[in-house]
Amino acid sequence: MMNTPTPLVLIIDDEPSIRDGCRQALEKSGYAVLDAEEGDEGIKIARDAKPDIALIDLKMPGISGMEIIEILSRDVPDMVLVMITGYATIVSAVEAIQKGTYDYLPKPFSPDQLRAVVRRAVEHRNLKIETRRLREEKERMEKSFITFVSHEMRSPLVVIRQYIEALKAVAGDRLDRDMTEIIERCGARIQSLETLVEHWLDISRIGEGSFAWKKEPLNLLQLIGRSTEEMAPICEEKGILLKTDLPDQLPEIFGDQEGLLRVFTNIIGNATKYTPENGRITLTASSDDYYVTVRISDTGTGIPADKLPFIFEPFFRVKGKEERQRGSGLGLTFCKRIMELHGGEIAVASTEGQGSTFLLKFLTHMRSEQTMDHSATPIRQF
Amino acid sequence: MTAKKRILLIDDDKDFLFATKLILEKGGYEVFLAEDGKTGVEMWKSVAPDLAIIDMMMETWGEGFSVLSKIRAMDTGKDTPLFMLSAVDLQGPYNSFEPPPEFPKVNAVLQKPVKAEDLLGYIARELGGKKMS
Ligand SMILES: Nc1ncnc2c1ncn2[C@@H]1O[C@H](COP(=O)(O)OP(=O)(O)O)[C@@H](O)[C@H]1O
Repeated sequence: MMNTPTPLVLIIDDEPSIRDGCRQALEKSGYAVLDAEEGDEGIKIARDAKPDIALIDLKMPGISGMEIIEILSRDVPDMVLVMITGYATIVSAVEAIQKGTYDYLPKPFSPDQLRAVVRRAVEHRNLKIETRRLREEKERMEKSFITFVSHEMRSPLVVIRQYIEALKAVAGDRLDRDMTEIIERCGARIQSLETLVEHWLDISRIGEGSFAWKKEPLNLLQLIGRSTEEMAPICEEKGILLKTDLPDQLPEIFGDQEGLLRVFTNIIGNATKYTPENGRITLTASSDDYYVTVRISDTGTGIPADKLPFIFEPFFRVKGKEERQRGSGLGLTFCKRIMELHGGEIAVASTEGQGSTFLLKFLTHMRSEQTMDHSATPIRQF
Repeated sequence: MTAKKRILLIDDDKDFLFATKLILEKGGYEVFLAEDGKTGVEMWKSVAPDLAIIDMMMETWGEGFSVLSKIRAMDTGKDTPLFMLSAVDLQGPYNSFEPPPEFPKVNAVLQKPVKAEDLLGYIARELGGKKMS
């Protein structure tokens, strides 16, 4: 809705002299004025006419000013409320502010004071509307950017990989070793670009509340089994020992199987990247009534202490001699967001030169019923 | 000497059509291309292929589905192997498309991009055993 060029002010006060005085002062300064002598009538006018500003006397017979404020800030949220009070105690002022008033006018007041307060209130209202418009615009842009990325960026990547497949099929037997290697490397780089786009999309979707995830009872032992099975070939290829040391049973947790599988494979995948040959990656788990904790330890390069606080940040990567280990810097951000979505936690401990341990903490099924963020929609405070 | 088996490929991405055509021809098939659902259904009638591969994500999501239903509703399409292509676009790489139970029969769902050997393998499984009369 556009601001009307003439701001509309509603005065709710039981004293005729105040209503008349305000009306005169405000009309003289170019405002349009409505008034009501008691609360119910005032609320009705406010709901119908949606004024820009309402001046409300705190102490009136019938419905109290405080109640009016509560109802109006809920029903006509764009309207800016100013209370008129003859006894501005701190307590009542604080209460009124908490309930949504913007400012107050102590009685008695002069026409100039009135105009100054109303002018400020109008500015505040414009700002409020502008802020909301910008926020909506930002959300809309984020949404359309997600759609844009998923359609316009992913399809060319898919097609390029399809061409590489076609090239291998068509010319496979005519290619020498160097050519084959070039093609393989192109394929790998495109795949990692796809992974980056994928992670980025998922992170955006989680942030925006459109990440689709199933909440089902899960057995972490089974999930760990799937993830180690998936990662076994790469560990073998790199000469790293992947082992598990798990209890026979773990309490059920509640969450998204595929999302959590990706958390595990991401962390194990990282461990393989930063662990030298003959190293070890170990998965252990423990539980109590409230939490299941999984630890994924490696005997790799470790992470410098001053870098540790940042490794879950988007695009953060520890630079060093391992520069050839390419990645997006989004893997751990994704893991963290997924864990948060589940009401769980992720943490890391590491000693440079000795290795790193990633800790995943899940609420047990019983607990998660009570506390998990079921909506996946971030709570917006404004 | 048997005639080459015919495959109809329906996808709205020209490059995807071209790349996949190369793979299929390398596999010894005769390939027909359609860039949209309507053309696809018409070509089905005129070409009478031995197998069709249909992209699920053309232009509008429903188009692939409607092509599939139309082909399955025809006498010539009741039993012909039909493959569906799905981009992993729906949500993350692991949540690929699974046809719901009330879907017309689909012989395979292939993920884009599809590896040459996988594609030829799936096709051979469907067409390989059949003797030409
Ligand atoms: N197991 C590990 N050992 C040593 N460093 C690690 C390990 N896991 C993550 N890191 C560091 O954290 C950074 C961020 O990780 P991540 O978000 O997964 O992005 P990337 O795609 O670069 O691996 C990495 O670049 C790496 O420097």
